[in-house]
Amino acid sequence: MSTSNEKLLIDIGSTYFKVSTNASIEQHFRDFNKQILDDLIHKCGDTVHRFEASDIHICSSANGGLSTLIIGLTHSYSLKYASNIAFNSGINIIQSIVFQNIEDYSIPSDVIDVVIIVGGIDSNGGLFDQRLSDYIAKLDYSNVVYVGNSQDAAAIASQVERLVVLPNIIDDRLHIVEQHLKEYLTNLYQQDIEGKEDIKHLYQITGNQIYPTPYVVNKSLPLIHSSFSVTEPFILLDIGGATTDVHYSKDLVSDNIVTEQGHDRIVFKKLGVYKSRQSLIFTAENNEFAYELLMHLKVTENIYTEYSEKATRILMQLAIFLVLCKMSHYRPTYVTLNLLAINSIVFTGGITKVLEAEDIEDVVAFFYRKILNSDHKPVTVLDTNYDIWTLGAREHATCQ
Amino acid sequence: MKVVTGVIGNDIHVVANRLMDLSLNARGYEVFNLGVNTFLEEFFDAAVETGAEILLISSLNGEAEGWSREVKILKSKYKTLDRLIMMIGGNLTVGSGNARDIVPRYKNYGFDLVCHQVDLNTGLDMLEDYIKEHRQP
Repeated sequence: MSTSNEKLLIDIGSTYFKVSTNASIEQHFRDFNKQILDDLIHKCGDTVHRFEASDIHICSSANGGLSTLIIGLTHSYSLKYASNIAFNSGINIIQSIVFQNIEDYSIPSDVIDVVIIVGGIDSNGGLFDQRLSDYIAKLDYSNVVYVGNSQDAAAIASQVERLVVLPNIIDDRLHIVEQHLKEYLTNLYQQDIEGKEDIKHLYQITGNQIYPTPYVVNKSLPLIHSSFSVTEPFILLDIGGATTDVHYSKDLVSDNIVTEQGHDRIVFKKLGVYKSRQSLIFTAENNEFAYELLMHLKVTENIYTEYSEKATRILMQLAIFLVLCKMSHYRPTYVTLNLLAINSIVFTGGITKVLEAEDIEDVVAFFYRKILNSDHKPVTVLDTNYDIWTLGAREHATCQ
Repeated sequence: MKVVTGVIGNDIHVVANRLMDLSLNARGYEVFNLGVNTFLEEFFDAAVETGAEILLISSLNGEAEGWSREVKILKSKYKTLDRLIMMIGGNLTVGSGNARDIVPRYKNYGFDLVCHQVDLNTGLDMLEDYIKEHRQP
Protein backbone atom coordinates (compact mmCIF):
# COMPACT_ATOMS: atom_id res chain seq x y z
CA MET A 1 0.00 0.00 0.00
CA SER A 2 0.99 3.61 -0.50
CA THR A 3 2.48 5.79 2.19
CA SER A 4 -0.13 7.35 4.43
CA ASN A 5 -0.26 10.79 2.81
CA GLU A 6 0.22 9.77 -0.82
CA LYS A 7 -2.74 10.32 -3.15
CA LEU A 8 -3.55 8.84 -6.52
CA LEU A 9 -5.02 11.45 -8.85
CA ILE A 10 -6.95 10.42 -11.95
CA ASP A 11 -8.40 12.63 -14.67
CA ILE A 12 -10.76 11.07 -17.20
CA GLY A 13 -10.90 13.10 -20.39
CA SER A 14 -12.88 12.44 -23.54
CA THR A 15 -9.77 11.18 -25.35
CA TYR A 16 -7.09 10.42 -22.76
CA PHE A 17 -6.95 9.62 -19.09
CA LYS A 18 -4.15 10.67 -16.79
CA VAL A 19 -2.93 9.00 -13.62
CA SER A 20 -0.65 10.85 -11.22
CA THR A 21 1.24 9.68 -8.14
CA ASN A 22 3.87 11.52 -6.13
CA ALA A 23 6.54 9.87 -8.30
CA SER A 24 5.14 10.03 -11.82
CA ILE A 25 2.37 10.98 -14.19
CA GLU A 26 1.07 8.67 -16.92
CA GLN A 27 -1.16 9.47 -19.85
CA HIS A 28 -3.08 6.85 -21.85
CA PHE A 29 -5.25 7.04 -24.95
CA ARG A 30 -8.67 5.67 -24.12
CA ASP A 31 -9.87 2.40 -25.59
CA PHE A 32 -13.43 3.22 -26.59
CA ASN A 33 -14.32 -0.45 -26.89
CA LYS A 34 -13.92 -0.83 -23.15
CA GLN A 35 -15.64 0.70 -20.14
CA ILE A 36 -13.51 3.39 -18.54
CA LEU A 37 -12.90 1.39 -15.38
CA ASP A 38 -11.83 -1.71 -17.32
CA ASP A 39 -9.55 0.39 -19.52
CA LEU A 40 -8.04 2.10 -16.49
CA ILE A 41 -7.43 -1.15 -14.62
CA HIS A 42 -6.04 -2.80 -17.75
CA LYS A 43 -3.49 -0.02 -18.27
CA CYS A 44 -2.75 1.14 -14.72
CA GLY A 45 -4.04 -1.70 -12.52
CA ASP A 46 -0.81 -2.08 -10.56
CA THR A 47 -0.78 1.59 -9.64
CA VAL A 48 -4.48 1.76 -8.77
CA HIS A 49 -4.30 -1.31 -6.53
CA ARG A 50 -1.49 0.24 -4.47
CA PHE A 51 -3.93 2.80 -3.07
CA GLU A 52 -6.82 2.72 -0.62
CA ALA A 53 -10.16 3.96 -2.04
CA SER A 54 -9.97 6.97 0.29
CA ASP A 55 -6.65 8.04 -1.28
CA ILE A 56 -7.88 7.93 -4.87
CA HIS A 57 -9.25 11.24 -6.23
CA ILE A 58 -10.90 11.31 -9.63
CA CYS A 59 -12.11 14.14 -11.84
CA SER A 60 -13.62 14.06 -15.30
CA SER A 61 -14.53 16.36 -18.14
CA ALA A 62 -15.58 13.49 -20.39
CA ASN A 63 -19.23 14.53 -20.44
CA GLY A 64 -18.54 18.09 -21.58
CA GLY A 65 -20.71 19.91 -19.06
CA LEU A 66 -24.31 20.97 -18.76
CA SER A 67 -26.34 23.62 -20.57
CA THR A 68 -28.61 26.20 -19.02
CA LEU A 69 -31.18 28.78 -20.04
CA ILE A 70 -31.68 31.65 -17.60
CA ILE A 71 -34.87 33.69 -17.28
CA GLY A 72 -34.39 36.83 -15.21
CA LEU A 73 -35.74 40.31 -14.71
CA THR A 74 -32.75 42.49 -15.57
CA HIS A 75 -29.32 42.26 -17.14
CA SER A 76 -27.56 44.11 -14.31
CA TYR A 77 -28.72 41.93 -11.44
CA SER A 78 -30.71 38.71 -11.79
CA LEU A 79 -29.29 37.59 -15.14
CA LYS A 80 -25.79 38.75 -14.31
CA TYR A 81 -25.75 37.02 -10.92
CA ALA A 82 -27.23 33.75 -12.21
CA SER A 83 -24.83 33.74 -15.18
CA ASN A 84 -21.88 34.27 -12.88
CA ILE A 85 -22.91 31.40 -10.62
CA ALA A 86 -23.54 29.14 -13.62
CA PHE A 87 -20.06 29.88 -15.06
CA ASN A 88 -18.49 29.10 -11.73
CA SER A 89 -20.32 25.80 -11.58
CA GLY A 90 -19.01 24.79 -15.00
CA ILE A 91 -22.37 25.25 -16.77
CA ASN A 92 -22.69 26.51 -20.35
CA ILE A 93 -25.28 29.23 -20.87
CA ILE A 94 -27.16 28.85 -24.11
CA GLN A 95 -29.56 31.76 -23.65
CA SER A 96 -30.42 34.56 -21.24
CA ILE A 97 -33.97 35.90 -21.33
CA VAL A 98 -35.29 39.17 -19.92
CA PHE A 99 -38.72 38.23 -18.59
CA GLN A 100 -40.58 41.38 -19.64
CA ASN A 101 -39.83 40.53 -23.30
CA ILE A 102 -40.13 36.74 -22.98
CA GLU A 103 -42.59 36.48 -25.86
CA ASP A 104 -39.97 37.85 -28.25
CA TYR A 105 -37.50 35.02 -27.66
CA SER A 106 -37.31 31.90 -29.78
CA ILE A 107 -37.53 28.44 -28.23
CA PRO A 108 -34.15 26.63 -28.24
CA SER A 109 -34.33 23.35 -30.12
CA ASP A 110 -31.72 21.55 -27.97
CA VAL A 111 -32.54 19.82 -24.72
CA ILE A 112 -31.64 22.16 -21.87
CA ASP A 113 -30.13 20.49 -18.84
CA VAL A 114 -31.33 23.12 -16.39
CA VAL A 115 -33.59 26.17 -16.62
CA ILE A 116 -32.88 28.87 -14.02
CA ILE A 117 -35.59 31.38 -13.07
CA VAL A 118 -34.51 34.41 -11.05
CA GLY A 119 -35.62 37.92 -10.21
CA GLY A 120 -36.46 40.38 -7.48
CA ILE A 121 -35.51 40.80 -3.86
CA ASP A 122 -37.64 39.00 -1.28
CA SER A 123 -39.65 42.10 -0.36
CA ASN A 124 -40.75 42.50 -3.98
CA GLY A 125 -43.29 40.10 -5.42
CA GLY A 126 -45.79 39.56 -8.22
CA LEU A 127 -43.00 39.88 -10.78
CA PHE A 128 -43.79 36.86 -12.95
CA ASP A 129 -47.03 35.92 -14.66
CA GLN A 130 -48.60 33.31 -16.90
CA ARG A 131 -46.16 34.10 -19.73
CA LEU A 132 -43.41 32.38 -17.72
CA SER A 133 -45.14 29.00 -17.46
CA ASP A 134 -46.33 29.29 -21.08
CA TYR A 135 -42.74 29.73 -22.24
CA ILE A 136 -41.35 26.97 -20.01
CA ALA A 137 -44.04 24.57 -21.22
CA LYS A 138 -42.58 24.89 -24.73
CA LEU A 139 -39.02 24.08 -23.61
CA ASP A 140 -37.41 20.66 -23.65
CA TYR A 141 -35.56 20.59 -20.33
CA SER A 142 -34.37 18.15 -17.68
CA ASN A 143 -34.34 20.34 -14.56
CA VAL A 144 -35.83 23.67 -13.56
CA VAL A 145 -34.83 25.73 -10.54
CA TYR A 146 -36.26 28.93 -9.06
CA VAL A 147 -33.88 31.25 -7.20
CA GLY A 148 -35.85 34.49 -7.28
CA ASN A 149 -37.91 36.42 -4.73
CA SER A 150 -39.61 34.28 -2.09
CA GLN A 151 -43.07 35.79 -2.63
CA ASP A 152 -43.47 34.37 -6.14
CA ALA A 153 -42.08 30.92 -5.38
CA ALA A 154 -45.37 29.20 -4.49
CA ALA A 155 -47.25 30.57 -7.50
CA ILE A 156 -44.52 29.48 -9.91
CA ALA A 157 -44.20 26.07 -8.26
CA SER A 158 -47.92 25.49 -8.83
CA GLN A 159 -47.53 26.20 -12.54
CA VAL A 160 -44.17 24.62 -13.37
CA GLU A 161 -43.78 20.90 -12.86
CA ARG A 162 -40.77 19.53 -10.98
CA LEU A 163 -39.69 23.04 -9.96
CA VAL A 164 -36.90 23.09 -7.39
CA VAL A 165 -37.12 26.17 -5.17
CA LEU A 166 -33.93 27.47 -3.59
CA PRO A 167 -33.18 30.64 -1.57
CA ASN A 168 -32.96 33.88 -3.52
CA ILE A 169 -29.56 34.62 -5.10
CA ILE A 170 -30.20 38.36 -4.60
CA ASP A 171 -30.18 39.56 -1.02
CA ASP A 172 -32.01 42.55 0.41
CA ARG A 173 -29.07 44.85 -0.41
CA LEU A 174 -29.05 43.69 -4.06
CA HIS A 175 -25.89 41.67 -3.46
CA ILE A 176 -25.23 38.21 -4.87
CA VAL A 177 -25.72 35.07 -2.74
CA GLU A 178 -23.93 32.25 -4.50
CA GLN A 179 -23.97 29.32 -2.13
CA HIS A 180 -27.29 27.51 -2.72
CA LEU A 181 -27.51 27.73 -6.51
CA LYS A 182 -23.82 26.95 -6.89
CA GLU A 183 -24.19 23.85 -4.75
CA TYR A 184 -27.27 22.75 -6.71
CA LEU A 185 -25.58 23.23 -10.10
CA THR A 186 -22.36 21.58 -8.98
CA ASN A 187 -24.39 18.58 -7.77
CA LEU A 188 -26.23 18.41 -11.09
CA TYR A 189 -22.89 18.50 -12.88
CA GLN A 190 -21.66 15.67 -10.70
CA GLN A 191 -24.81 13.62 -11.24
CA ASP A 192 -24.35 14.15 -14.96
CA ILE A 193 -20.77 12.92 -14.75
CA GLU A 194 -21.84 9.90 -12.74
CA GLY A 195 -24.64 9.02 -15.12
CA LYS A 196 -22.60 9.28 -18.29
CA GLU A 197 -19.62 7.66 -19.91
CA ASP A 198 -19.57 4.82 -17.41
CA ILE A 199 -18.04 7.20 -14.91
CA LYS A 200 -20.22 5.76 -12.18
CA HIS A 201 -18.23 2.52 -12.32
CA LEU A 202 -15.22 4.45 -11.08
CA TYR A 203 -16.88 4.68 -7.68
CA GLN A 204 -15.78 1.06 -7.25
CA ILE A 205 -12.21 2.26 -6.79
CA THR A 206 -12.65 5.62 -5.06
CA GLY A 207 -14.23 6.61 -1.79
CA ASN A 208 -14.27 10.28 -2.80
CA GLN A 209 -16.67 12.29 -4.89
CA ILE A 210 -15.82 12.62 -8.59
CA TYR A 211 -15.53 16.28 -9.55
CA PRO A 212 -15.59 18.08 -12.91
CA THR A 213 -12.06 18.69 -14.21
CA PRO A 214 -12.54 22.45 -14.75
CA TYR A 215 -13.55 22.78 -11.10
CA VAL A 216 -10.37 21.03 -9.99
CA VAL A 217 -8.10 22.93 -12.38
CA ASN A 218 -9.59 26.20 -11.15
CA LYS A 219 -8.35 25.34 -7.66
CA SER A 220 -4.77 25.48 -8.91
CA LEU A 221 -4.91 29.05 -10.14
CA PRO A 222 -4.12 30.82 -6.87
CA LEU A 223 -1.14 28.43 -6.52
CA ILE A 224 0.10 28.63 -10.09
CA HIS A 225 2.98 30.96 -9.20
CA SER A 226 4.59 28.18 -7.18
CA SER A 227 5.22 26.17 -10.35
CA PHE A 228 5.18 28.61 -13.25
CA SER A 229 6.48 32.05 -14.01
CA VAL A 230 3.12 33.68 -14.68
CA THR A 231 2.33 37.38 -14.43
CA GLU A 232 -1.16 38.52 -13.48
CA PRO A 233 -3.55 39.08 -15.06
CA PHE A 234 -3.51 35.86 -17.06
CA ILE A 235 -5.78 33.40 -18.80
CA LEU A 236 -5.40 29.65 -18.82
CA LEU A 237 -6.62 27.67 -21.82
CA ASP A 238 -7.24 23.96 -21.36
CA ILE A 239 -7.87 22.69 -24.88
CA GLY A 240 -8.76 19.04 -25.01
CA GLY A 241 -10.50 16.46 -27.19
CA ALA A 242 -14.11 17.45 -26.46
CA THR A 243 -14.12 20.76 -24.61
CA THR A 244 -12.10 23.87 -24.08
CA ASP A 245 -12.01 25.42 -20.64
CA VAL A 246 -10.97 29.02 -20.13
CA HIS A 247 -9.86 30.14 -16.70
CA TYR A 248 -9.21 33.84 -16.21
CA SER A 249 -8.33 36.45 -13.62
CA LYS A 250 -11.43 38.32 -12.45
CA ASP A 251 -9.55 41.58 -13.11
CA LEU A 252 -10.09 40.99 -16.83
CA VAL A 253 -13.87 41.39 -16.56
CA SER A 254 -15.64 44.58 -15.58
CA ASP A 255 -18.81 43.05 -14.16
CA ASN A 256 -18.80 44.79 -10.77
CA ILE A 257 -19.58 41.55 -8.94
CA VAL A 258 -17.68 40.99 -5.74
CA THR A 259 -17.09 37.28 -5.20
CA GLU A 260 -14.69 35.38 -3.02
CA GLN A 261 -12.53 33.86 -5.70
CA GLY A 262 -10.08 35.70 -7.92
CA HIS A 263 -10.47 33.43 -10.93
CA ASP A 264 -13.50 32.38 -12.94
CA ARG A 265 -13.92 29.84 -15.67
CA ILE A 266 -15.96 29.10 -18.76
CA VAL A 267 -16.38 25.74 -20.44
CA PHE A 268 -16.92 25.68 -24.18
CA LYS A 269 -18.72 22.40 -24.54
CA LYS A 270 -18.20 21.72 -28.22
CA LEU A 271 -14.75 23.03 -28.93
CA GLY A 272 -12.16 20.30 -29.07
CA VAL A 273 -9.99 18.57 -31.64
CA TYR A 274 -11.09 14.97 -31.27
CA LYS A 275 -14.60 14.26 -30.01
CA SER A 276 -15.81 17.78 -30.91
CA ARG A 277 -13.82 17.98 -34.14
CA GLN A 278 -16.87 18.54 -36.39
CA SER A 279 -18.21 21.27 -34.15
CA LEU A 280 -14.80 22.96 -34.14
CA ILE A 281 -14.67 22.86 -37.94
CA PHE A 282 -18.22 24.24 -38.16
CA THR A 283 -17.22 27.15 -35.89
CA ALA A 284 -14.13 27.77 -38.00
CA GLU A 285 -16.14 27.79 -41.23
CA ASN A 286 -18.35 30.49 -39.75
CA ASN A 287 -15.44 32.72 -38.79
CA GLU A 288 -14.29 34.94 -41.63
CA PHE A 289 -10.79 35.22 -40.22
CA ALA A 290 -10.29 31.46 -39.94
CA TYR A 291 -9.67 31.26 -43.69
CA GLU A 292 -6.96 33.92 -43.37
CA LEU A 293 -5.44 31.98 -40.51
CA LEU A 294 -5.31 28.84 -42.65
CA MET A 295 -3.57 30.84 -45.37
CA HIS A 296 -1.18 32.21 -42.78
CA LEU A 297 -0.45 28.62 -41.70
CA LYS A 298 0.06 27.72 -45.36
CA VAL A 299 -2.77 25.18 -45.64
CA THR A 300 -6.18 25.17 -47.34
CA GLU A 301 -9.64 24.26 -46.10
CA ASN A 302 -8.97 20.70 -47.31
CA ILE A 303 -7.19 20.27 -44.00
CA TYR A 304 -10.64 19.90 -42.39
CA THR A 305 -11.12 16.54 -44.09
CA GLU A 306 -7.63 15.22 -43.41
CA TYR A 307 -6.84 12.91 -40.53
CA SER A 308 -3.13 13.36 -39.98
CA GLU A 309 -0.71 14.68 -37.41
CA LYS A 310 -0.49 17.89 -39.37
CA ALA A 311 -4.31 18.25 -39.46
CA THR A 312 -4.49 17.80 -35.69
CA ARG A 313 -1.83 20.50 -35.26
CA ILE A 314 -3.74 22.93 -37.47
CA LEU A 315 -7.02 22.20 -35.67
CA MET A 316 -5.29 22.87 -32.36
CA GLN A 317 -4.09 26.22 -33.68
CA LEU A 318 -7.60 26.99 -34.95
CA ALA A 319 -9.01 26.10 -31.54
CA ILE A 320 -6.70 28.66 -29.88
CA PHE A 321 -7.78 31.35 -32.34
CA LEU A 322 -11.50 30.56 -32.04
CA VAL A 323 -11.52 30.50 -28.27
CA LEU A 324 -9.71 33.84 -28.11
CA CYS A 325 -12.33 35.21 -30.54
CA LYS A 326 -15.10 33.92 -28.26
CA MET A 327 -13.57 35.72 -25.30
CA SER A 328 -13.10 39.01 -27.17
CA HIS A 329 -15.48 41.76 -28.26
CA TYR A 330 -15.36 40.27 -31.77
CA ARG A 331 -17.55 37.27 -30.93
CA PRO A 332 -18.95 38.04 -27.49
CA THR A 333 -20.44 35.02 -25.74
CA TYR A 334 -20.93 34.99 -22.00
CA VAL A 335 -18.14 37.27 -20.95
CA THR A 336 -15.80 39.58 -22.77
CA LEU A 337 -12.29 39.71 -21.42
CA ASN A 338 -9.97 42.65 -21.65
CA LEU A 339 -7.44 40.64 -23.66
CA LEU A 340 -5.18 43.65 -24.17
CA ALA A 341 -4.52 43.68 -20.44
CA ILE A 342 -3.31 40.10 -20.08
CA ASN A 343 0.35 39.51 -19.42
CA SER A 344 0.45 35.72 -19.71
CA ILE A 345 -1.46 32.98 -21.52
CA VAL A 346 -1.01 29.57 -19.97
CA PHE A 347 -1.79 26.47 -22.04
CA THR A 348 -2.53 23.08 -20.62
CA GLY A 349 -4.28 19.90 -21.75
CA GLY A 350 -3.73 17.81 -24.86
CA ILE A 351 -2.66 20.85 -26.85
CA THR A 352 0.70 21.03 -25.11
CA LYS A 353 1.55 17.53 -26.32
CA VAL A 354 0.99 18.50 -29.94
CA LEU A 355 2.06 22.12 -30.41
CA GLU A 356 5.41 23.79 -29.82
CA ALA A 357 5.60 27.18 -28.12
CA GLU A 358 6.32 28.93 -31.43
CA ASP A 359 3.21 27.37 -33.08
CA ILE A 360 1.09 28.81 -30.29
CA GLU A 361 2.80 32.21 -30.24
CA ASP A 362 2.27 32.48 -33.98
CA VAL A 363 -1.52 32.05 -33.63
CA VAL A 364 -1.76 34.33 -30.60
CA ALA A 365 0.12 37.07 -32.50
CA PHE A 366 -2.20 36.54 -35.50
CA PHE A 367 -5.25 36.94 -33.23
CA TYR A 368 -3.99 40.17 -31.67
CA ARG A 369 -3.07 41.62 -35.03
CA LYS A 370 -6.25 40.69 -36.89
CA ILE A 371 -8.92 40.97 -34.23
CA LEU A 372 -7.57 43.50 -31.76
CA ASN A 373 -5.31 45.47 -34.17
CA SER A 374 -2.53 45.31 -31.67
CA ASP A 375 1.06 44.15 -31.39
CA HIS A 376 0.42 43.14 -27.79
CA LYS A 377 2.31 39.97 -27.01
CA PRO A 378 1.46 38.20 -23.78
CA VAL A 379 4.00 35.65 -22.59
CA THR A 380 3.08 32.09 -23.55
CA VAL A 381 3.51 29.51 -20.81
CA LEU A 382 3.18 25.80 -21.59
CA ASP A 383 2.24 23.25 -18.98
CA THR A 384 3.57 20.23 -20.83
CA ASN A 385 3.37 17.77 -17.94
CA TYR A 386 -0.13 18.49 -16.58
CA ASP A 387 1.41 20.13 -13.52
CA ILE A 388 -1.52 22.55 -13.26
CA TRP A 389 -4.08 19.75 -13.03
CA THR A 390 -1.85 17.92 -10.53
CA LEU A 391 -1.52 21.09 -8.47
CA GLY A 392 -5.28 21.65 -8.42
CA ALA A 393 -6.08 17.99 -7.81
CA ARG A 394 -3.63 17.78 -4.89
CA GLU A 395 -5.02 20.98 -3.38
CA HIS A 396 -8.56 19.69 -3.83
CA ALA A 397 -7.68 16.26 -2.42
CA THR A 398 -6.10 17.89 0.62
CA CYS A 399 -9.23 20.00 1.18
CA GLN A 400 -11.44 16.92 0.89
CA MET B 1 -41.12 53.66 0.49
CA LYS B 2 -38.25 52.15 -1.44
CA VAL B 3 -35.60 54.42 -2.94
CA VAL B 4 -32.82 53.45 -5.32
CA THR B 5 -29.97 55.92 -5.16
CA GLY B 6 -26.40 56.28 -6.35
CA VAL B 7 -23.94 58.50 -8.18
CA ILE B 8 -24.26 58.43 -11.93
CA GLY B 9 -21.53 57.87 -14.49
CA ASN B 10 -17.81 58.14 -13.93
CA ASP B 11 -18.21 60.00 -10.67
CA ILE B 12 -16.72 58.91 -7.36
CA HIS B 13 -18.20 61.46 -4.97
CA VAL B 14 -18.77 58.92 -2.25
CA VAL B 15 -19.22 61.34 0.67
CA ALA B 16 -22.30 62.95 -0.84
CA ASN B 17 -23.62 59.52 -1.65
CA ARG B 18 -23.16 58.38 1.95
CA LEU B 19 -24.86 61.52 3.31
CA MET B 20 -27.78 60.92 1.00
CA ASP B 21 -28.06 57.33 2.21
CA LEU B 22 -28.04 58.42 5.87
CA SER B 23 -30.57 61.18 5.34
CA LEU B 24 -32.97 58.96 3.41
CA ASN B 25 -32.72 56.27 6.08
CA ALA B 26 -33.34 58.85 8.81
CA ARG B 27 -36.53 59.87 7.02
CA GLY B 28 -37.78 56.27 6.99
CA TYR B 29 -37.12 55.29 3.41
CA GLU B 30 -35.86 51.81 2.54
CA VAL B 31 -32.66 52.67 0.69
CA PHE B 32 -30.90 50.69 -2.03
CA ASN B 33 -27.63 52.49 -2.47
CA LEU B 34 -25.83 51.51 -5.67
CA GLY B 35 -22.82 53.64 -4.71
CA VAL B 36 -20.61 55.60 -7.06
CA ASN B 37 -19.83 54.98 -10.75
CA THR B 38 -23.32 53.70 -11.53
CA PHE B 39 -24.65 53.45 -15.06
CA LEU B 40 -28.17 54.51 -15.97
CA GLU B 41 -29.25 50.98 -16.88
CA GLU B 42 -28.17 49.76 -13.44
CA PHE B 43 -30.42 52.35 -11.78
CA PHE B 44 -33.45 51.22 -13.76
CA ASP B 45 -32.61 47.55 -13.32
CA ALA B 46 -32.31 48.06 -9.56
CA ALA B 47 -35.73 49.74 -9.51
CA VAL B 48 -37.20 46.69 -11.27
CA GLU B 49 -35.54 44.17 -8.94
CA THR B 50 -36.43 46.02 -5.74
CA GLY B 51 -39.81 47.42 -6.72
CA ALA B 52 -38.62 50.91 -5.74
CA GLU B 53 -41.04 53.80 -6.13
CA ILE B 54 -38.32 56.46 -6.24
CA LEU B 55 -35.07 56.77 -8.19
CA LEU B 56 -32.79 59.43 -6.74
CA ILE B 57 -29.66 60.08 -8.78
CA SER B 58 -26.89 62.29 -7.48
CA SER B 59 -24.14 63.91 -9.45
CA LEU B 60 -21.38 66.43 -9.09
CA ASN B 61 -19.37 68.43 -11.61
CA GLY B 62 -21.94 68.07 -14.36
CA GLU B 63 -21.34 64.36 -14.97
CA ALA B 64 -25.10 63.79 -15.15
CA GLU B 65 -25.55 66.04 -18.17
CA GLY B 66 -24.40 63.53 -20.77
CA TRP B 67 -26.04 60.51 -19.15
CA SER B 68 -29.39 62.16 -18.55
CA ARG B 69 -30.03 62.63 -22.24
CA GLU B 70 -30.61 58.89 -22.44
CA VAL B 71 -33.14 58.75 -19.57
CA LYS B 72 -36.34 58.92 -21.62
CA ILE B 73 -35.32 56.47 -24.29
CA LEU B 74 -33.90 53.96 -21.84
CA LYS B 75 -36.80 54.20 -19.40
CA SER B 76 -39.26 53.65 -22.23
CA LYS B 77 -37.80 50.16 -22.72
CA TYR B 78 -38.98 49.10 -19.27
CA LYS B 79 -42.59 48.00 -19.00
CA THR B 80 -42.98 48.40 -15.24
CA LEU B 81 -41.44 51.78 -14.45
CA ASP B 82 -44.20 54.17 -15.51
CA ARG B 83 -44.95 55.27 -11.95
CA LEU B 84 -41.30 55.59 -10.86
CA ILE B 85 -40.58 59.02 -9.36
CA MET B 86 -37.42 60.32 -11.02
CA MET B 87 -35.31 62.75 -9.00
CA ILE B 88 -31.84 64.15 -9.57
CA GLY B 89 -29.73 66.40 -7.38
CA GLY B 90 -26.25 67.83 -6.93
CA ASN B 91 -24.22 70.09 -9.14
CA LEU B 92 -25.86 69.40 -12.46
CA THR B 93 -23.71 71.38 -14.83
CA VAL B 94 -20.07 71.82 -15.68
CA GLY B 95 -18.79 75.04 -14.05
CA SER B 96 -21.44 77.48 -12.95
CA GLY B 97 -25.00 77.65 -14.15
CA ASN B 98 -28.33 78.79 -12.88
CA ALA B 99 -31.30 76.73 -11.87
CA ARG B 100 -33.67 78.61 -14.16
CA ASP B 101 -31.91 77.08 -17.17
CA ILE B 102 -30.91 73.78 -15.68
CA VAL B 103 -34.14 72.64 -14.01
CA PRO B 104 -36.33 72.78 -17.14
CA ARG B 105 -33.60 71.09 -19.13
CA TYR B 106 -33.44 68.11 -16.77
CA LYS B 107 -37.23 67.94 -16.52
CA ASN B 108 -37.19 67.68 -20.29
CA TYR B 109 -34.75 64.79 -19.95
CA GLY B 110 -37.42 62.94 -17.95
CA PHE B 111 -36.91 63.89 -14.30
CA ASP B 112 -39.86 64.81 -12.09
CA LEU B 113 -37.75 66.61 -9.49
CA VAL B 114 -34.52 68.49 -10.18
CA CYS B 115 -32.38 69.95 -7.38
CA HIS B 116 -29.44 71.91 -8.73
CA GLN B 117 -27.15 73.08 -5.92
CA VAL B 118 -29.97 72.67 -3.41
CA ASP B 119 -29.28 71.73 0.21
CA LEU B 120 -29.84 68.00 0.82
CA ASN B 121 -32.60 68.41 3.39
CA THR B 122 -34.40 70.97 1.27
CA GLY B 123 -34.26 68.55 -1.64
CA LEU B 124 -35.67 65.72 0.45
CA ASP B 125 -38.45 68.04 1.68
CA MET B 126 -39.26 68.69 -1.97
CA LEU B 127 -39.45 64.95 -2.52
CA GLU B 128 -41.89 64.51 0.36
CA ASP B 129 -44.07 67.32 -0.92
CA TYR B 130 -44.05 65.75 -4.37
CA ILE B 131 -45.06 62.36 -2.96
CA LYS B 132 -47.90 63.94 -0.95
CA GLU B 133 -49.13 65.74 -4.02
CA HIS B 134 -48.85 62.91 -6.53
CA ARG B 135 -49.18 59.68 -4.59
CA GLN B 136 -52.06 60.41 -2.20
CA PRO B 137 -55.24 58.49 -3.06
